[in-house]
Amino acid sequence: MPIITIGLSHRTCAVDVRERFAFSDADIPAALTELKARGLVSEGVIVSTCNRMEIYAVTNSSERKVLDELRDFIVAQKAYNNAINGEFYLYSEPQSLEHLFKVACGMDSMLLGETEILGQLKKAYDLALQHKHTGARLNKAFQRAFNVAKHVRTATNIQRGSVSVASAAVELAEKIFNTLEDHKVMVIGAGDTSEKTARALLSRGAQSVIVANRSFDRAAALALELGGTAVSFDNWTEEFQDIDIVISSTAAPHYILDRTKLEPIMKARRRRPLLLIDIAVPRDIEPEVNFLESVYLYNIDDLQAIADGYLKQRQEEIAKCEAIIREKAQALLEPSASGMSFQPNLAQPA
Amino acid sequence: MDGLTERGFFALAVFGYGLSAIYSVFLWRKGFQRDDRLNYAVLAFFFIAHTTAMALRGFSLSRCPVNNLFEAMMFIMWTIVASYLVLGLFRRLRFLGAFASPVLLAMGVFALMPGLDTTEGDVSKMASLHAALILLSYGAFGIGSFAALMYLMVERDLKMHRARAILSVLPSIQRLELISTRLLIAGLVLLTAGLSLAPVLMKDRYGVFFQADAKIVWSGIVWAAYAILLVARWWSSQGGRKFAWGAVGSFSFVLLTFWGVNLLSKAHQP
Repeated sequence: MPIITIGLSHRTCAVDVRERFAFSDADIPAALTELKARGLVSEGVIVSTCNRMEIYAVTNSSERKVLDELRDFIVAQKAYNNAINGEFYLYSEPQSLEHLFKVACGMDSMLLGETEILGQLKKAYDLALQHKHTGARLNKAFQRAFNVAKHVRTATNIQRGSVSVASAAVELAEKIFNTLEDHKVMVIGAGDTSEKTARALLSRGAQSVIVANRSFDRAAALALELGGTAVSFDNWTEEFQDIDIVISSTAAPHYILDRTKLEPIMKARRRRPLLLIDIAVPRDIEPEVNFLESVYLYNIDDLQAIADGYLKQRQEEIAKCEAIIREKAQALLEPSASGMSFQPNLAQPA
Repeated sequence: MDGLTERGFFALAVFGYGLSAIYSVFLWRKGFQRDDRLNYAVLAFFFIAHTTAMALRGFSLSRCPVNNLFEAMMFIMWTIVASYLVLGLFRRLRFLGAFASPVLLAMGVFALMPGLDTTEGDVSKMASLHAALILLSYGAFGIGSFAALMYLMVERDLKMHRARAILSVLPSIQRLELISTRLLIAGLVLLTAGLSLAPVLMKDRYGVFFQADAKIVWSGIVWAAYAILLVARWWSSQGGRKFAWGAVGSFSFVLLTFWGVNLLSKAHQP
């Protein structure tokens, strides 16, 4: 009985289509029960995240026929009336297994190599397992997928480094400071990216956060969310002496921090390192401050370049990961591993 | 290896440090992105030959082998490699080997030059202790200067927004500064202890506590340089780049003048 996969993802359709086909956790057990009751599948797992909806199933009927029927089932379930035009991918072995392994490794994710999908995959599998919708084949395939993801993470650089501006900023801070635990963060301008960056720094142990914003109410709201304190925008420089990391993203049309202002502050700080992250456009911090000793200024382009560097490094690892995945999928399909012989079929795109 | 003398074992170790220096160029070009286990293993392996050379010389003389320029160099290098092998237990500090091995190669080649391995007369235990403490301090200054050199590289990469600053597997600049400072403190303590024995040895040998010998004056300058560097580090917050340059500069001064000062010193001739 082969494992088949049907699904759609960020690669094949836009979010407005993906959201139409999404399953909530509450709906998944009933959908799997229905599939089994119709005799389409004997085992099944439904993975539904913001970037994909996939069904992994075991069938004892003709794969091509079941894949078509599965697609029709999903379309009917979600009352999707528009024409289907290449949104779905349909895989039979060995591609179905290779795809599962790729998903587990984050190789099919929007952010190459991200690890969140592994947790989502485990959750989807646990849900099916709890409701007894999995059997020997899917249990083995999913367990193997989790092992492959672990192996790929340790054997390659596919998950190494930061590929977002917020995590690049954290990594940068960790290259400057011994530990983030005794360092304070200041957020100037309560924008979305600065909030994410502050959150990322706090999650890595930063001591506290101070928020300064033109609208004090917005600063207070963000400070409350981050567990920090809000200060008036006119007085933010007074707090500067104790701050080690600054994230600036105001809408000011001119520099709010320049060399003349920072020089005496650095003297008072006894030249302790200061990381300035300027993600505002137009920029908030005069580039000249980077020439001051112990001051490290990074703007949005610098951070993006770091993230791109890591992404490039991850892309260079794809071939290595694919070779591991192919080998592991073949090993799983060998008669000794699966307990029976399978005749692999080629994938048929919808 | 039965036929190898202590000089043979030492030459083997220097050859290994040379291999490590070549591999270090590769690590440098790759931006220190790979774990430095291979370099660590190479240095650890040839450290065995180095230790064997030290032990053979020590047993043959029945004292610590620190009494001529060859032995002194061998001892300083041994201290540097031993310190590195301890620090290198921490993954991110393993790259110190890439900074140390080219200097070890240069020091080793210099030590193997003919004419440096002179025969000394009887040397008292206190004189051996005096020399050993001072050479240990130079080892600590050496590895401290490599940490400072690494600091300068990482700091510059961070300032210039080079990808290597982030993509490399190197420690933070604060940690490098901390390590460098601690090693320099350890070195200064050892140097102070070693130099404090000097007046007693002078009194025994020349009947005076002090004389304006080239090496004695030079040692005082080295001690003062490191003391000023460390005091300035705290009192006037002269950390960061200035401190790192000070550490690198001071050790370079020691390395470049050590041989000449020994030749000029009458009090340190057999």
